Amino acid sequence: MSRSLPKGQALLGAGVLVLGALVFGGSFTLPSEGGYAQVGPAVVPRFVGIGLLILGAMLLREALTGGFRGVDEEAERHLPTDWRAFAWVSGGILLYGVLVEPAGFLIASTLLFVMVSRGFLSRRWLLNAALGLAVAAFIFTVFNYGLGLQLPPGILRGVLP
Amino acid sequence: MDVLSHLANGFAVALTAQNLMWALVGVTLGTAVGVLPGVGPAVTVALLLPITAKVDASGALILFAGIYYGAMYGGSTTSILLNTPGESATIVTAMEGNQMAKRGRAGPALATSAIGSFIAGTLATVGLTFLSPLVVELGLKFGPPEYFALMIVAFTTVSSVLGESTLRGLVSLFAGLAIGLVGIDNQTGQARFAFGTPQLLDGIEVVTVAVGLFAVGETLYFASKLNQVEETLEKVSGSIWMKAEDWKRSWKAWIRGTLIGFPFGTIPAGGAEIPTFLSYAIERKLSKKPEEFGQGAIEGVAGPEAANNASSTGSMVPLLTLGLPTSATAAIMLSAFQQYGLQPGPLLFESNAALVWGLIASFYVGNVMLLVLNLPLVGLWVKLLEIPRPQLYAGILVFATMGVYGMRQSAFDVFLLYAIGVAGFLMRRYGFPAAPVIVGMILGPLAEEQLRRSLAISQGDPMVFLTHPISAGLLALTVVILVAPWAWRRIASRRRA
Repeated sequence: MSRSLPKGQALLGAGVLVLGALVFGGSFTLPSEGGYAQVGPAVVPRFVGIGLLILGAMLLREALTGGFRGVDEEAERHLPTDWRAFAWVSGGILLYGVLVEPAGFLIASTLLFVMVSRGFLSRRWLLNAALGLAVAAFIFTVFNYGLGLQLPPGILRGVLP
Repeated sequence: MDVLSHLANGFAVALTAQNLMWALVGVTLGTAVGVLPGVGPAVTVALLLPITAKVDASGALILFAGIYYGAMYGGSTTSILLNTPGESATIVTAMEGNQMAKRGRAGPALATSAIGSFIAGTLATVGLTFLSPLVVELGLKFGPPEYFALMIVAFTTVSSVLGESTLRGLVSLFAGLAIGLVGIDNQTGQARFAFGTPQLLDGIEVVTVAVGLFAVGETLYFASKLNQVEETLEKVSGSIWMKAEDWKRSWKAWIRGTLIGFPFGTIPAGGAEIPTFLSYAIERKLSKKPEEFGQGAIEGVAGPEAANNASSTGSMVPLLTLGLPTSATAAIMLSAFQQYGLQPGPLLFESNAALVWGLIASFYVGNVMLLVLNLPLVGLWVKLLEIPRPQLYAGILVFATMGVYGMRQSAFDVFLLYAIGVAGFLMRRYGFPAAPVIVGMILGPLAEEQLRRSLAISQGDPMVFLTHPISAGLLALTVVILVAPWAWRRIASRRRA
């Protein structure tokens, strides 16, 4: 029953090890004496770092000896991850982060709505754009005119009331 | 003052027009997000945290609590009508409930879960009312070492009892503890793990983490999987009322479910999954018609639904009396208290009696509202399930990004949100529970504070945790929880060999 090594699992275990090393190593840049409290700001990070290192090693061991216990890689093969859908959703969020300030909340949110819908296989671009704009406009109205909060108008500054 | 007069004062708070409105908004929103796939109570409460700046403490907490237990009612509707289980605590309901719906008995299934939830929620609130003062008495005797030990117990149970693997639960917990470390250490003013980034000095917001793990992570996961799965929504046809036989088979299951669920909620064991599975197993064993199980036995809906409601109300006991959250939503509620500079615990019952008892009284009110919302008005919620998935998830993400960006008006937070979302996706894909992350990041800094206080008292001697009998006992319990399953497997496998 020696199938291919679960690469993702091994990488994940290694990732936890790296995180542990970061936290553990980082704790040495912090002052460890705590004055009156006896426990400085470095002590708990050091414990958390050690914990992550141990847990990462245990994860790696599980991954290399038959895979994570209770994770059904067989079922996963029957329902493989659709990376194209993943990319549409990811792109929507990242683009939102890039655009929300320069282009404004309305444009960024509408694009996000369209791209996430596309990730879920909806190709009705115009309808989705209209729906997205409606949701965004609703939020924008409530926040900027109702609650007095500032969501960025972006390039529509001056155009919007 | 005795419990009843406290409770009467609480009702005086809960029954003001304003607080009634917050309760109604809370339970309505809670039912809605419970019904909707892709969004749950944790995300909703997190996104609404900013209102703590505008609304008074009792109003906001009544709202948040309403969302929390309202979602339990709503979740069952989805489990019964949809063949894809919604929240983890309603998986068992889905087994029998969806079978009942397929056989044209969706109405009675919805009714038994709504009435069962009401009975369990109300009985559990009675339990909360009378148990809390007793736990407060106990809590007043606790010093820092006892609290620290108690938090360690909560950490272990939340990460090892939930989910299928103690190891992966602990990884989630430690990731949460690591997130909690980021930012300025509130005792010495030392910046930790901020990597010179000003946005990280204030720490990572719980909103970003909760929304990232639960909304973005789930959306990424479902986008990459769900497109290949066929969803079928059952229709609610015929009467929603239960027949005499349904009542006869349900009421004992409701009571038993409550008795199982409430204690599980109160001990820091976290989660409503285990009591629902226990209740299901017991109902199956006691049923006169065990052959119906798996094909739509009404007891299999009634018991677990009562259990998950009772346990969610039960989890308010450790949260309010000791400041110990045992679920993701409870942890976020704890951070809502902190926004007001309040620390839940025994002292809160003295310093803010009106707030605490008002909150408890609102549970009675909220459960009545929920019964009305979920029984006569159930058709309304079914409509929510008809929203097409692409537009539903797109809308959820528009709200999610708005909440995270709007909190600090920082595009940095949006990228952080995405990074946490990818982590949430991976956790979902590889079976890591998300709740320990939230509990770890919120409870972690509090545990550190108690640790430092303990050692300040003992002048640096770590034996203080072992010389205090209660804390020593609690720490011993932690070791048992962690080692027992492993040791048990060892012994069992040796016997077989």
